[in-house]
Amino acid sequence: MILTGDQIRKELKRGKIKIDPFNANQVNPNSYNYRLGKKLIDVERDKKIVIPEEGFVIRPHTPYLGSTKEQLGSDTYAMSLIGRSSMGRLGLFLQISADLGHTGSSHCWTLELVATQPIRIYPNMQIGQISFWENKGRIEKYSKGYSLHSRPTKSKIHNDTYTK
Amino acid sequence: MILTQNKIREEYQNENITITPFNASNLSTNSYDLTLDETYIQYTEDIVDPKKKNRYEEKLIPKSGLLLKKSSFILGSSVEKIGSDKYVPIIHAKSSIARLGLFVHVTADLIDIGSHGNITFQLYATSNIRIYPGMQIGQVSFWVPKGDITLYEGKYADSEGPKSSKSYLSFGN
Repeated sequence: MILTGDQIRKELKRGKIKIDPFNANQVNPNSYNYRLGKKLIDVERDKKIVIPEEGFVIRPHTPYLGSTKEQLGSDTYAMSLIGRSSMGRLGLFLQISADLGHTGSSHCWTLELVATQPIRIYPNMQIGQISFWENKGRIEKYSKGYSLHSRPTKSKIHNDTYTK
Repeated sequence: MILTQNKIREEYQNENITITPFNASNLSTNSYDLTLDETYIQYTEDIVDPKKKNRYEEKLIPKSGLLLKKSSFILGSSVEKIGSDKYVPIIHAKSSIARLGLFVHVTADLIDIGSHGNITFQLYATSNIRIYPGMQIGQVSFWVPKGDITLYEGKYADSEGPKSSKSYLSFGN
């Protein structure tokens, strides 16, 4: 089951969900709008960027890594991080088919931004949304890989073991 | 929990789900197939900017089809009006469309509960592909929410046809 906006607020108060900073007017009927943090990585050029107040134009069809401004997490619910419809309508991907946030993760989330046409992005803008989903079964908390990182974090797939 | 096709049909009959027009043959095991309407939108800006109202052209997909070139992006819409005050709809591509490399949304698959209207498809082609009006292009699934429901009253309520981004209305909030 997906939590309604009202339930997100309740679980936040009960400490079952973390959204920090929290702003009540970013609650939607079944999600919460997250904001874009200032730091960006241009993956192709391996370049770090701080997005200025006047915005930054990203090149199309190439990935950038950003992060949420907020720390988001839950030990009770699983999460899904996606874009806002207003950004999807401008052709901006916020993740590359990896929307699932594991139960037990709590940090600023890395976003995989890909533009389908040149677009100007701004720090602190409401860029995406997170939804919370009820689990079925005993929870083994996520404690691997990316769970401790609050900056845009590059892929660590090279640390995985490959078998022939 | 996700609704099965039998439950979708039942809740459509109980008027807890809006699907107009409704065609029983569009039901799949866990979803309802959505068809592409003929109107589409293309931005005419060199750089789109969420802070402002971006200019666009509205055009029609001819019956003979429209060639979407690789890397191009347009907004289309569903023929069907979709919504629910009881369930959360989520939009997906048809697997057959995804296998041709066409995205039908750009990471914005979640529809607010209480939002009723035509779905705006965010069409992004990863290879050259021809699209046709009336083709089955996407599907909608319905999910059970937990908690008290506040219905959507946002800027895309009662959408008709493809709707361009209204991000500028809420920018700076």
